[in-house]
Amino acid sequence: MLTQRLANIVFTVLVIFACAYFAVVAQGFEAAGLLASSGLPSRFFPQLLLAFTALCAVVVLYLYASKGEAGDEGQTVFASSAEARRGLLALAAAVVSYIVWLNFGFVMMAMISGPLLCLAMGVRNPVIYGVVLALAAGVYLVFTQLLGTRL
Amino acid sequence: MFDAAAVGVAFANLFDPFTMIMLVAGILLGLVIGILPGLGPPIAIALALPFTFYMEAVPSLILLLAIYNAAIYGGSISAIAVGIPGTGAAIATVLDGHAMYKQGRGGEALGLSLTGSIIGGLVSVVCLTFIAPVLAQVAIKFGPREFLAISVFGLVVVVRVAGANLFKGLLVGGLGIFLTTWGLDELNGAERYTFGTYHLYEGIPLVPFLVGIFAVSEVLIGAERALKRIEFDKTSLTVKIPGLGTLSKLRGNLARSSLLGTIIGIIPGEGAAVGAFFAYSEEKRRSKEPEKFGTGIPEGIVAPETANNATVGGALVPTLTLGVPGSPAAAVLLGAFLIQGLAPGPTLFDERPDIMYSLFLGLFLINILLFFIGLFAIRFAAMLIKVPMTVIVPTVLLLSFTGIYAVSNSIFNVGVLLAAGVLGYVVRKLGYSIAPLSIGFVLGPILENSLRQSITIADGSTAEFFNTPIGLGIYAALALTILWGPISTRVRSRLAGKVKDP
Repeated sequence: MLTQRLANIVFTVLVIFACAYFAVVAQGFEAAGLLASSGLPSRFFPQLLLAFTALCAVVVLYLYASKGEAGDEGQTVFASSAEARRGLLALAAAVVSYIVWLNFGFVMMAMISGPLLCLAMGVRNPVIYGVVLALAAGVYLVFTQLLGTRL
Repeated sequence: MFDAAAVGVAFANLFDPFTMIMLVAGILLGLVIGILPGLGPPIAIALALPFTFYMEAVPSLILLLAIYNAAIYGGSISAIAVGIPGTGAAIATVLDGHAMYKQGRGGEALGLSLTGSIIGGLVSVVCLTFIAPVLAQVAIKFGPREFLAISVFGLVVVVRVAGANLFKGLLVGGLGIFLTTWGLDELNGAERYTFGTYHLYEGIPLVPFLVGIFAVSEVLIGAERALKRIEFDKTSLTVKIPGLGTLSKLRGNLARSSLLGTIIGIIPGEGAAVGAFFAYSEEKRRSKEPEKFGTGIPEGIVAPETANNATVGGALVPTLTLGVPGSPAAAVLLGAFLIQGLAPGPTLFDERPDIMYSLFLGLFLINILLFFIGLFAIRFAAMLIKVPMTVIVPTVLLLSFTGIYAVSNSIFNVGVLLAAGVLGYVVRKLGYSIAPLSIGFVLGPILENSLRQSITIADGSTAEFFNTPIGLGIYAALALTILWGPISTRVRSRLAGKVKDP
């Protein structure tokens, strides 16, 4: 199982790289026309924050890289492989639902997102699928008929 | 300062039939969501937020405040009945509440939690009603340096109480603030991290971001433990309201916990959960029989339940007067004000006193009605604990998607919601708290504007930067907050050493 130590090390390294990337992007910020000379440059605050965030990430990285400093290194990110599977599949189902909405519209997304999430969670009881679909229809009706949203 | 005409308008607003319906609906919704494990007040408010888009300011804010109050109380029902706190604020209630329930005294425990919640809520509303207008009068004189000091104070306190690791809190707090720098620079029009899309000209939208951070990340975590069944014995669910004798015995506890909860609510931080733990440990510390805490005693239920509801009024003090949220739930509530075109801050008291008075009066009414609704609804509401996560997870996700789209008619905002949800999920799985992330995101614009303006005013002079008595007072309070822990530990260990010496 993925340990907190490894996951946090990877995360902080990614944060440091992201901070460096965004700091470089900030160099290209250009103020519009006459406002250009007013006050501090636009890149000042983002770069200040990126430096601060990167510094914190370095400290957290150090805490996890040097054994026993962070306190939760031995713990795992997920309690079991089944929980990891359910969480990550649910994440994938949510992303797929959004893509379906983009390409095929709301109704199609509403019809498939519930069953997809149920599948991700390992639901076998058909009644649950039925209840979830009925609730999805309820959500659709509330928004379209009661609130007048065009979905 | 006192505006009788505005109070009259507030009464008329509040007793409008639609507002009253929203008030009752909010209490019921809050109870339901509070009872469901994992779905706390920020999520409850976030899910209801899109519906307020179609309402006037007063009914919409009353709906959300009723949800906020009732959700905090609702968390105690599942804490007592099944030992699973419905909200973070009810974690301390599990210790004595569930122990009492297992002894067949569930009705007594539920009665104590309901009474404590109402008393705490009412005391905090009285404090809010008197403190907020005075603070608003002071805050109207605030300039960028004072707002900078308050923002720094708020953020540091949130980070300190959010988790065990200070640097992890600072990291996500910094990340939250950084994300507010996206979009057009308000001061000079520069495009910052817009990546060529006009959707980002106004930056990352607040409401989808907060709903994603709270609701979507919770949905994903809920999916992991979706198949766990919750069983409970419903025989002792009839509420027994404590008699005057019991309340008289607990009066000190009720008073201390109400004030402690209100004060902790005022200080920007974790809000209800921190308030509940502080009150619980304070009562345990003061008790002549501390070993009895956790075995099912009334004091162990009254303290956290009184304090957690007292944080609501407290958290609204900085939210309404300064625009600085006192808790994650208050941060989401700020989104509701923005949807209504209202900017919380000192000027709101001058511009719309009718709304402010409506909220104060509404909070009184919410607490009173919560008592009666709670009394009759607990038995039925507790049945909701058995609703499986496999039904809650898809429904909450669909509600979040649809609600965010309904507010803005923008599928891009749904993408922001999802991205924020994934970010929230990842950081929570890695042991970070999402409180600094969300509060940082709300405070970011205030922090940037006040910092840049302060630097401009100071004109290179460090002395001028700190030449603000109010600001210095806030920085001093911040230093005290940071140093208080180590100082008190040292003093206690010295005292303990002196006692041992002879």
